[in-house]
Amino acid sequence: MATQAHSLSYSGCNFLRQRLVLSTLSGRPVKIRKIRARDDNPGLRDFEASFIRLLDKVTNGSRIEINQTGTTLYYQPGLLYGGSMEHDCSVLRSIGYYLESLLCLAPFMKHPLRIVLRGVTNDQVDPSVDVLKATALPLLKQFGIDGESFELKVVRRGMPPGGGGEVFFSCPVRKILKPIQLIDPGKIKRIRGMAYSVRVSPQMANRIVDSARSILNKFIPDIYIYTDHMKGINSGKSPGFGLSLVAETTNGTFLSAELASNPQGQGAAMLPEDLGRNCARLLLEEIYRGGCVDSTNQSLALLLMTLGQQDVSKVLLGPLSPYTIEFLRHLKTFFQIMFKIETKPCGEELKGGDKVLMTCVGIGFSNLSKTLK
Amino acid sequence: METKDQKKHRKKNSGPKAEKKKKRHLQDLQLGDEEDARKRNPKAFAVQSAVRMARSFHRTQDLKTKKHHIPVVDRTPLEPPPIVVVVMGPPKVGKSTLIQCLIRNFTRQKLTEIRGPVTIVSGKKRRLTIIECGCDINMMIDLAKVADLVLMLIDASFGFEMETFEFLNICQVHGFPKIMGVLTHLDSFKHNKQLKKTKKRLKHRFWTEVYPGAKLFYLSGMVHGEYQNQEIHNLGRFITVMKFRPLTWQTSHPYILADRMEDLTNPEDVRTNTKCDRKVSLYGYLRGAHLKNKSQVHIPGVGDFAVSDVSFLPDPCALPEQQKKRCLNEKEKLVYAPLSGVGGVLYDKDAVYVDLGGSHGFQEEVRPTHELVQSLISTHSTIDAKMASSRVTLFSDSKPLGSEDIDNQGQWMPKEEKQVDLKTGRVRRKAIFGDEEEDESGDSDDEDDEDMSEGDRLENSSSDDETEEGQDAEVTDKQYMSDQGIKRQKLEMEEDFEVDLPAFADSDDDLERSSVEEEAEEADESSEEEDSIAEEERDILESKAVREGGKPELLQTDDSSDSLNVEKSLTKKKATFTTLDSGHCTAEEAFASEDEPEGNSSLSTEEEDSENEEAIRKKFPKPSQVVSSQKLGSGNLIDETSDIEDLLKEEENYKEENNYSTETSGALKWKEDLSRKAAEAFLRQQQTTPNLRKLIYGTVTEDNEEEDGDNGEELGGLFRVSQPASECKHKADSLDCSRFHVEAPHDWDLEEVMNSIRDCFVTGKWEEDKDAAKILAEDEELYGDFEDLETGDVHRGKPGPDTQIEDVEEEVKEEIDPSAEESAKKKHLDKKRKLKEMFDAEYDEGESTYFDDLKGEMQKQAQLNRAEFEDQDDEARVQYEGFRPGMYVRIEIENVPCEFVLNFDPHYPIILGGLGNSEGNVGYVQMRLKKHRWYKKILKSRDPIIFSVGWRRFQTIPLYYIEDHNGRQRLLKYTPQHMHCGASFWGPITPQGTGFLAVQSVSGNMPDFRIAATGVVLDLDKSIKIVKKLKLTGFPYKIFKNTSFIKGMFNSALEVAKFEGAVIRTVSGIRGQIKKALRAPEGAFRATFEDKLLMSDIVFMRTWYPVSVPAFYNPVTSLLKPVGEKDTWSGMRTTGQLRLAHGIKLKANKDSLYKPIVRQKKHFNSLHIPKALQKALPFKSKPKTQAKAGKTPKDRVRPAVIREPHERKILALLDALSTVHSEKMKKAKEQRHLHNKEHFKMKQKEEEEKLKRQKDLRKKLYRIQGQKERRNQKSSLKGPEEQLK
Repeated sequence: MATQAHSLSYSGCNFLRQRLVLSTLSGRPVKIRKIRARDDNPGLRDFEASFIRLLDKVTNGSRIEINQTGTTLYYQPGLLYGGSMEHDCSVLRSIGYYLESLLCLAPFMKHPLRIVLRGVTNDQVDPSVDVLKATALPLLKQFGIDGESFELKVVRRGMPPGGGGEVFFSCPVRKILKPIQLIDPGKIKRIRGMAYSVRVSPQMANRIVDSARSILNKFIPDIYIYTDHMKGINSGKSPGFGLSLVAETTNGTFLSAELASNPQGQGAAMLPEDLGRNCARLLLEEIYRGGCVDSTNQSLALLLMTLGQQDVSKVLLGPLSPYTIEFLRHLKTFFQIMFKIETKPCGEELKGGDKVLMTCVGIGFSNLSKTLK
Repeated sequence: METKDQKKHRKKNSGPKAEKKKKRHLQDLQLGDEEDARKRNPKAFAVQSAVRMARSFHRTQDLKTKKHHIPVVDRTPLEPPPIVVVVMGPPKVGKSTLIQCLIRNFTRQKLTEIRGPVTIVSGKKRRLTIIECGCDINMMIDLAKVADLVLMLIDASFGFEMETFEFLNICQVHGFPKIMGVLTHLDSFKHNKQLKKTKKRLKHRFWTEVYPGAKLFYLSGMVHGEYQNQEIHNLGRFITVMKFRPLTWQTSHPYILADRMEDLTNPEDVRTNTKCDRKVSLYGYLRGAHLKNKSQVHIPGVGDFAVSDVSFLPDPCALPEQQKKRCLNEKEKLVYAPLSGVGGVLYDKDAVYVDLGGSHGFQEEVRPTHELVQSLISTHSTIDAKMASSRVTLFSDSKPLGSEDIDNQGQWMPKEEKQVDLKTGRVRRKAIFGDEEEDESGDSDDEDDEDMSEGDRLENSSSDDETEEGQDAEVTDKQYMSDQGIKRQKLEMEEDFEVDLPAFADSDDDLERSSVEEEAEEADESSEEEDSIAEEERDILESKAVREGGKPELLQTDDSSDSLNVEKSLTKKKATFTTLDSGHCTAEEAFASEDEPEGNSSLSTEEEDSENEEAIRKKFPKPSQVVSSQKLGSGNLIDETSDIEDLLKEEENYKEENNYSTETSGALKWKEDLSRKAAEAFLRQQQTTPNLRKLIYGTVTEDNEEEDGDNGEELGGLFRVSQPASECKHKADSLDCSRFHVEAPHDWDLEEVMNSIRDCFVTGKWEEDKDAAKILAEDEELYGDFEDLETGDVHRGKPGPDTQIEDVEEEVKEEIDPSAEESAKKKHLDKKRKLKEMFDAEYDEGESTYFDDLKGEMQKQAQLNRAEFEDQDDEARVQYEGFRPGMYVRIEIENVPCEFVLNFDPHYPIILGGLGNSEGNVGYVQMRLKKHRWYKKILKSRDPIIFSVGWRRFQTIPLYYIEDHNGRQRLLKYTPQHMHCGASFWGPITPQGTGFLAVQSVSGNMPDFRIAATGVVLDLDKSIKIVKKLKLTGFPYKIFKNTSFIKGMFNSALEVAKFEGAVIRTVSGIRGQIKKALRAPEGAFRATFEDKLLMSDIVFMRTWYPVSVPAFYNPVTSLLKPVGEKDTWSGMRTTGQLRLAHGIKLKANKDSLYKPIVRQKKHFNSLHIPKALQKALPFKSKPKTQAKAGKTPKDRVRPAVIREPHERKILALLDALSTVHSEKMKKAKEQRHLHNKEHFKMKQKEEEEKLKRQKDLRKKLYRIQGQKERRNQKSSLKGPEEQLK
């Protein structure tokens, strides 16, 4: 018998997605204990259970064991299978929560993934589908994941708490990834955005646009913010509005910021003007952080660099987010890969905060699921 | 070779020499040059047909593109591992002799007994690892996987042997290494002609196997039991210059051909249990890809193991250092073969073994030992001197420490700070105090907080003479500040970041901002400082600003934010901080008091000057401040991590030190040596890296471990208080979100905050090399005038200032200024260069193809790969990229079966093959398989067979299948004879595209070709869907029109329900459908058909039944067998083998047996015709009802007459007489017949004559009649009357 790769053990529910995703990609089983063990409501939450179910759907031969209280999870990954499927995401978290992990896994399936996800498209916690579409997809294209079947589409928009949104995501399959050298982010040449409103007055979106422009116009004239007002069945089950902004640079880097209104019945009502202004400021913060990759997609970029060929990949990032830092640690335990981290102080140029240059040698990962014909 | 049959000289017909001769000959004949043919006969070279030309062009292009391979990134390391040369051949062909000869050729040493691989230095850039491969198929398979070059020995006197072909096939499957044939035993040929023929025959056979033109070497015989020196030398030359293609499997997996093995098991464990699992260390050159620590390896013949530790050792057989000489000198011709006991000194991680050779050691064998020891001994300096000069690296990426550092360092020397001594130069305080040593040792990197720098700054500004220094001061301070920015991030980790947040968010005037910042900083650092001091300072600055005419409203904002700062800082201060910072506080106070009088004497112009300068200088810190505030974000996340606290503690320690140093810093020091400061800045920047790295990766370097040790408080030196990491707990269950929230947003309404990201936009300032205006100006300068054709404007290149001057000068002075001329020349050259570049770019662009681009890209990547970690030391490099190929590594492996050590045989190669991610897992593997055409039998599904896939050899039970047109995988009982089929087994997951081979058994010698099948892995999965056909049959028991009731197909109504709607068919081809289960007989159902069935019909349904692949995976553990029995491994036997062994006959199915054919007589019934029909029939067809003549009644039966003898005689006589009579009659009849015939003839003649006569008569008569008529006619002319008469 081949010795099974010894399983890794973690405790706590934080970074559950990272662990499961990396486990799936590396083929090493994980055991996660003490999931909200001291909580009044111990064990896995609905959205996590839904995530695990989604993982089970996209893989073949996975073994998942959860104890009675749901505080311990054992996951022995199978092979990524893919294909066409549908998944009803929990409305506790937005689709972005699920989509982020799918973006990591989708290029390594056996069959190209075509999935319909239902749930909340935009909320205040997770990166929304619009932002992922605008930032993560171009990032994946840098790694050679491209093609006409590579798309992410918001079919219906759903806001919390009701949800009712629908997203279609399809991704082609790759055997190997290209190494990247993203060292120069370039200069921002345009800012685009999407102001959406569902089940509220369509005027909201226009108000958001005006306020956001008022701030951004001081920096660059090329701004266009689309307004997206969905009606009828396409507008989900709850009212809400929000804005997502994306700054594109001359070198194809996308930096994003987004803000959504408070869910119905939670928190005070938000003025669309405030939201627009705050979102624009967030975008400026993001630009200040800078780097070649958006702060939400740092971990995705690092993962794909790790899974590249045995070549040097480099990427310039802004300050590392806590999520990314934990992700780097996980990469080390799962793939024995360490990044060379160089801090690049900004010097006297007016280019925002200082950056971090991440360098690594890929592990020579190849898609084991893909069928050879 | 005999001298008598030497080759006669043959004239050359081709080649350069022949060409030359031909040319000369032609010239002699006055026929002119070959090249002139085109000129002489242009028509012959003219285009005859455009189509043909197109075709030929197409063909050449095809041939050209055929030569392209997909370009791959060249990942060969700068110092590649030795090349593995496998010497292979059947027994008694001369393998060992060849190896000995080769080693002697390269190293001038003679090895008597060779065991295991031998590594030698064969050239300045090449090393070889030579290993012999016997005929054990296990060994052949393993070595084919690691070989770079195969020397395939062939006994020419005998011809090819099966092993050769087997090995070739194995090589083909596992990537095709370079193969060179070597023919030996050529001296056994008596006749030259026969020798030549054999050579040619073997060569061509070899070519068909390898590739046409493959090198085949001839070793023509032995001299004193060795091959001829010259031939071996040539062979060696061939090997040393050979180039290799990268093989996919080898380049994507790390592997080691172990050349040494040590048992590290605790002897006590072995004593108590001789069979206990062992811990071994294996040594060898790492090849292929990078090896990561703790990764999984497979040792073919043993099993899978996790590497417990890897470390790299000094190269035991190192390539010579770069030198100018062409060839190696004797000292560099090293040989290393620890398994053969050569290579004298063995280095281990913590020990050195010296083989003393014993009393029987050969002189030659001792030699390498001697050399290596010599290199150790040959030291020319005393040990003290060496100690002084030696440097110790404590931590992987630290600067090596010299002995002086150690002497001077205090107890509190921080371990992770390696740039200690470099820091010192920066602090110029030592000059004042004269105690350089102390300063040097005392100032660590982290110490120089902004306190110190501020102190410097303040001092600088206050001193009047500073003003002269101008630029220098600015530059240095700039650096200072940027450094400081970096430093600050650490500070902010401990202090609350909110404190210094508004540091840059307060004003837009440079001067004011900077001064305020300064204050803010001060406030941050000395958070416990009294308000009064801060206020005092602020007052001073304010007054300064007022004096300089700064905007009052901005100052207001400054003020407010400042006070905010102070307040915040006061609220946020930490207990530890207050205690520690006492010294610091005093320093600040001192500064403040210093400043105060200055502020009071406000009218002095000198001070204004100094302030101005200060203002200028303070412009620079701005970005660094920005940096520091940006760090907050990271600080934010940082406080989650446990590591950081350690860091902070250290820093607090330093701070104390730092205060001290700040106070003592001299006024003039900062301008001392700028280059050194630049270096420092760089180092500091580097130094922040490990901190971030440590933050992320935690205990990477050794010092961290120590730190951890320190952290744990010891109780009585025995117990350690285990404290749960508090922040660890709280983060474990927190929200899982990838978003990076902005904790402390900037105020984006403020101008300078906005300015901080100005250059991120295209509207901002561009870099020098990208600024459009600048580039344009440059171009203009170079290219000069141009005319806009559309508008007609003529743009003149600005005459450069220097040229203008030049003109003037020329006019005025007449004499040539050498510098001006030079510049003009330079300009001209520049222009030329630019033009050339443009031309090149234009020219190349047209030529470059997709292939070229791809190749260029790969090359660039390869360069980057090499350059990225080049400047780092191996320890650090290993962490980032893993152990790189070419290193000599030592690998520790635990839980190795004891048999591996007990039955260790150095002749068998030990290979550690690295496994990729999830290659250690098992699953279902599908492959395309073809039975080898030389294998005699066909393979049966579910018969265990041994596969060699990837690194592994294992036994498993495959199922063979074939894919139908609709993608269905249908089980096959046997592999097809000459066709590919699919095979599926349960076993280790191996990447798709990997080749494999199958053998039925690895033990003993099978008479025939041993390789049963070859193929390639196609798919990996955790489930399979191979099906086999299953026909269910049933019989109708009741038939209506098109509906029938069928029974016997199923056993229950439930089963029927499952198949409702399924298609069924009768043997005669009537199709139908299952409708519904019936109640009466269990399992019967109603079915409809397209036609009425017969009771005799058989109804069947075709279904597919999934089969399961047996989960059997059994690695071939041939290395664990005792010495001498390693080729006897046998695993699971096939049922056939078991039956044979136990003498169990197969129970034959009775129905399958052959029996004598018994045919029954065919019986036909009589035809019955109805009476009505009979009546209607014509008589002819009517059955004749007339009774047959029955028996004659008795009364009519006549009695038989029995004659008397006499009567019999009479009768006989009568018979005879009648016979005679009849004969007579017959004769007479014949005679009569003849007679009649003659008579008839005669009669005919007469008749003819009669007719003739009559004819004549008639003729005569008619003639007379005619004459009469003529006469009558004549008379009628006379008159009618006459006629009438």
